[in-house]
Amino acid sequence: MVIRELIAGFFVCTGFFFFFTATVGLLRLPDFYSRLHATGKGDTLAVLFSLIGLAVYEGFSLTSVKIVLIAVFMFLAQPTATHAISRAAFRCNVKPLTTPGGPNR
Amino acid sequence: MIRESDDVIVRTVARLLMPFITLYALYVVMHGHYSPGGGFQGGVILAAGFILLVVTQGIDRVKRRMSQEKAIIFSSLGLLIYAGIGALCLILGGDYLDYGTLGRPLSVQRAEARSLGILGVEIGVALGVMAVMCAIFFAIFTPDQKNGRREQ
Amino acid sequence: MNTFFLIMGIGMCLLVMLCLFRVIYGPTILNRAAGISAVGTKTLIILLIIGVVHRRVEMFVDISMVYALLNFIGCLVLAKYLERTGEV
Repeated sequence: MVIRELIAGFFVCTGFFFFFTATVGLLRLPDFYSRLHATGKGDTLAVLFSLIGLAVYEGFSLTSVKIVLIAVFMFLAQPTATHAISRAAFRCNVKPLTTPGGPNR
Repeated sequence: MIRESDDVIVRTVARLLMPFITLYALYVVMHGHYSPGGGFQGGVILAAGFILLVVTQGIDRVKRRMSQEKAIIFSSLGLLIYAGIGALCLILGGDYLDYGTLGRPLSVQRAEARSLGILGVEIGVALGVMAVMCAIFFAIFTPDQKNGRREQ
Repeated sequence: MNTFFLIMGIGMCLLVMLCLFRVIYGPTILNRAAGISAVGTKTLIILLIIGVVHRRVEMFVDISMVYALLNFIGCLVLAKYLERTGEV
C-alpha cells in the first residue's frame, strides 16, 4: 500500500517538475519556436508522468484503464497539435531568432 | 470552403482518432445515467468528431457522408424520437415522458422500463444535437452563393 | 497523501496563472495559441487531481477525457485558421 503511494508520488512529482520547466520555457525563451519547443515536449512528457502516477494511485480498475487511455490519447494528440501550430507559424513567415537581441516575436 | 489539409501527419492522426472519438461519444450517451454526460454531451462529442474530419479531410469529403440536407433530416429524426417516446407514454395512459407505462408493451418491470425510456430519449437528443451542430458548422463554412464571394 | 495531491493541485493552478501571462501579453496570436494549449494540458491534470482529492475519480475522468479531446480539436482549428488567413 505504502509502496504504491510512494511510486505514485514520485511519478506525480516528476510530472510537476516537467510542467514547471515547460512553463519557465514558455515565459523566458526569446522567440516563438523555442517557446513552442519547450511547451510541446515538456507538457507531453509531464502529462504522461502525471497520468501514470494517478493510474498507479488508483490501483487496477476501470478508472485507471481510462486514465491510461487518456495518456495514449495525449501521446498521439499533443505532438500533432504542436506540429500544426508550428507549421501555421512557418506558413505565416514567422522567422526564427538567429541573432541575439533580435525582435521579440 | 475548407480544403484538405496538406499535412500527412495531421491527416493520418485525425483518421486514426476519429473512430475512437465516435466510440467514446456513444459511451457517454449510453452511460448518461451513471456518470456525467448524457444526450447533449454525447451529441456534442459526435459533432466534434465531424468538425475534426472537416478541418483535416476537407469539407467536400465530409459532405458526401453528412450533407446539410441529411443533417436537417437527422435533427428532425432526433426530435421525433424524443417527442414520440413522450407521446407513447401519453397514449399508454401515463403522463408525458412517464416511462413507467412503457413496461407493459415491452413486457419488463416498471423500473427497467424507466431506464430503457431514458436511454431512448437520450439517443434522440444525441442525434438531434449532433445534426444541429453539423448544420451550424456547414452553414458557417459554406461560401455564400448569392454574393459570389470566393475565399482563397 | 491527500495533502500531497492538494499541494500538487495548488502548484499546478499557480503554473496556469504563469502561463496566462503569455496568453495575455504574447506578442502575436501564435504565442497566445501556444499558451492556451499549455493551459489546457495543465487543466486536464488539475481535473483528475480534484477527482482524487474528492474520491470521485470515476466521475472526473470522463470530463478530463472530453477536455483533452476539445483542446486537441481547438488547436487544430486555430492552426488551420491562421494558416489560411496568413497573417499573425
